[in-house]
Amino acid sequence: MRQPNDIQRDEKSIGTLVELTGVFEGIASMRIAQIKNQVLQATAFFNDLWEIYSQLRVDNLFRFGRSQDSDKVLNKDLYILITAEGGFSGDIDQRLVKVMQQTYDKDKHDIVVIGHHGAMQLAQQGISFKKYFKLPTKDKNINVSPIIQYVQQYQKTTVFYQEYVSLMVQDVKRIELSAAVQEQGKVSDGQEKKEIITAENTIFEPSVYSVIDHLERSMLQIAMSQLILDSKLAQYASRFRAMTASHEKAEETKGELRLEYNRAKRAIKDQRLKEIINGLRKAKVAA
Amino acid sequence: MAKRQDASTGNMVDDDSSEKKKLDPTMMEIKVYSPYQTYFDEQAYSISAINDTGPFDILKGHHRFITLLNPCEMEIRTPKGEEKIKISRGVMYVKEDKVTVFLDV
Repeated sequence: MRQPNDIQRDEKSIGTLVELTGVFEGIASMRIAQIKNQVLQATAFFNDLWEIYSQLRVDNLFRFGRSQDSDKVLNKDLYILITAEGGFSGDIDQRLVKVMQQTYDKDKHDIVVIGHHGAMQLAQQGISFKKYFKLPTKDKNINVSPIIQYVQQYQKTTVFYQEYVSLMVQDVKRIELSAAVQEQGKVSDGQEKKEIITAENTIFEPSVYSVIDHLERSMLQIAMSQLILDSKLAQYASRFRAMTASHEKAEETKGELRLEYNRAKRAIKDQRLKEIINGLRKAKVAA
Repeated sequence: MAKRQDASTGNMVDDDSSEKKKLDPTMMEIKVYSPYQTYFDEQAYSISAINDTGPFDILKGHHRFITLLNPCEMEIRTPKGEEKIKISRGVMYVKEDKVTVFLDV
């Protein structure tokens, strides 16, 4: 049997782990609440912008804001993977890479990965990527312009991201970026008939196409930011789940160690008592 | 007074949007906001900014107008005085005495 002092030392370190996992759990839950709020605000803004854009549209094509220089488009598809920056986020990144691999063909697709954890996963599997971006640490005013510059070079972009379903359920999703913009726009598309904004009834400065391109780029950026925020939300939830499990496990281990410690102490006391009784017996016999 | 649910807090707040419209007929409704922050959402006499053509003012009765804004200090004249908002980029949409400025887009 182990010595009580050793057990007590282990119990102490497990106690630190219990506290740490509790803190991580708390932080993750706080961040979830904050991001949820920001997603709501940004969605309202996007809907207002979509309202104007949908009245401006001359056709149903979404040109990724490149209507005036479409000749530079690469004949390949771009895959964007949104993953976590570090560990502690459960198995969600591995699941995301697996989903991406189901359709990936290195001759047809280029990969841009957001988040260090995803980049590591790809490197481990020998999959090369065009560019790696750090996952933005802040949740407001995310600058996605460098990513959008890549998006505009490709004919089609598919984003693999993590979706927050609930605190205990996070899913891995894929969506075509132009569809993501239109999908978000559908929310603001009500039943009422919209009026059309044309050069006849509206003054455009500098020009109609500049405004359309700008709005398309803006909405791409907002949609991309939303997907990043969605993924961060899912990552925090996944981390929360992982931390809750670790916290429970650590609590359980701490309880077991306490029990072991008490048993060890009791065993020592029993041993001493036995020795005293035996000593007394021997003394009695000798007398 | 009517109540509505605030999108950011989820709390029920007084809905004074219908009353706003009834205010001074010499003013316009102006809203300046970005995806994560509202900078101005009140009635005002005019708004000035800069686009590719140069500095311009929007007053009540302006024709329907969409423009891309250049970095500048936007000025909004209200009954309480002048408000200035520094912007890096944005889109302004004017329609029926309602001005909406989308910032950081």
